[in-house]
Amino acid sequence: MDSSPITTWEGAGAYFTFAHMPGVLYLILALAVIVCFGTIAMAAKHETEAFKKIAGKD
Amino acid sequence: MEQQIAELTKSSGMLGTVDVEIFYWWCTAIMICIHAGFLAYEMGASRAKNVLASGVKNILAFAFIIPTFFFFGWWIYLAFPNGLIPSEAGNVGLPWAPEMGPNLQDNATGVFWAAFVLFAATTASVFSGAVIERIRVSAFVILAIVLGSGAWILAASWGWHPDGWLLKKFGYHDVGCAGLIHVVAGFFALGVLINLGPRIGKYNADGTANDLLPHNIPMVLIGLMLIIVGFFGFLGGCAILNPGAQWTNIYGQPMTLSAYGFNTLMCFSGGIIGAWITTRDPFWMMSGALAGIFVAAAGLDLWYPPLAFLLGIVGGVIIKPGNDFLVKMGIDDSVGAVSVHGFSGILGVLAVGIFAAGFPGPGDAPATSFMGQFVGVIVMVMCGFIPGYLVSLLLKTLGVLRVPDEVQEIGLDLAEIPSKAYPEAAGYKSATLAPAE
Repeated sequence: MDSSPITTWEGAGAYFTFAHMPGVLYLILALAVIVCFGTIAMAAKHETEAFKKIAGKD
Repeated sequence: MEQQIAELTKSSGMLGTVDVEIFYWWCTAIMICIHAGFLAYEMGASRAKNVLASGVKNILAFAFIIPTFFFFGWWIYLAFPNGLIPSEAGNVGLPWAPEMGPNLQDNATGVFWAAFVLFAATTASVFSGAVIERIRVSAFVILAIVLGSGAWILAASWGWHPDGWLLKKFGYHDVGCAGLIHVVAGFFALGVLINLGPRIGKYNADGTANDLLPHNIPMVLIGLMLIIVGFFGFLGGCAILNPGAQWTNIYGQPMTLSAYGFNTLMCFSGGIIGAWITTRDPFWMMSGALAGIFVAAAGLDLWYPPLAFLLGIVGGVIIKPGNDFLVKMGIDDSVGAVSVHGFSGILGVLAVGIFAAGFPGPGDAPATSFMGQFVGVIVMVMCGFIPGYLVSLLLKTLGVLRVPDEVQEIGLDLAEIPSKAYPEAAGYKSATLAPAE
């Protein structure tokens, strides 16, 4: 897959990877959002389990 | 000859462009000291059994503000200067816009975005200290995102933007963000604290309060001084560098960085002295340094320097009584954030209306006035308190806001952190309870 949106540096504007492929940009963005908020959900689950474990042992 | 002039014009234009980038780059870097300072401050203010959990909270606030400010925070700032209906001006801030990444036609967006991210992380840090030792890390991260990538940046769109409605209708003046960062964050913290409840052991059955002492005051003091270093990056970021022309503030009014030089140091010193003379306590003296800056922040481009000094004294004097009042009301603010940021920020916004009324607004905007600043205070308090209270209420209802009392008793580090802060310290619990996996 050619991730470069430019074929020459002359007159280039947005030159970040996949700048010319909106579908791929949306996919990467969606993945980033899922990872970001997914880790918070995972942390919440881990906390609940850790607290239950502590309460059981104490 | 004409070609030479054209080339010189082009290269001087590029020099100005790169100067802007360089300036905000270093402002951003220096602002990380604010975060490092809050990290030291919050860890020092915790009891030893909770120290790393407090640190992790602070680190995660920074980590989660960055992507969420990219996803939607920057868009909010650009899209909402008129109120609650987004405008097309925000389109360049959407996360898929060509401006939102490396772009050879745009040297500015990235460094401005970066500076604003640090402002956002700073705002979340303000709230972070108030809730140490009993908030769940996951709940804290959600609240930090709401504050840092939502509430304050909406307030900024309204009151710290050349097209913001608070400026255009009321002449609101708040160059150093006393209202939109400190009032918003302070009252957001208050809204959360009401739902979060106090640390166990803070209050006795008869309602009297106990002091839950910080485990490392020297670290607190160093942290607070580091925050002051970071403020110089922050205040630099509050000025607009216009290549080949005079500095302007965010509203477009002319100013000088020299004005900030005079007034920042004067109000900082006033804050320390005001707190020293009324408390003699180094914790409050360094908190006074912050509060002194906040009481002068809104008009930092305008004050006669001795007036900035006197405003700083006021900041240093009011913070401990302000915090004592909150403690009597049953609010356990672990570091005095509501008083230092919220109350001082309110005084800072109003100070412009009292002592700096009548300065001409940019363009057709009204001149500065007491009423304009008063309206701003009301808006900023609501921008902070309402989301802080409502989101924390939702988290509390779901049972995911507060660490259970039995876990608070043994310490959050044992429950949440796989490493030990002070492994060689005597009396460290070991055998029966293992750190988190």
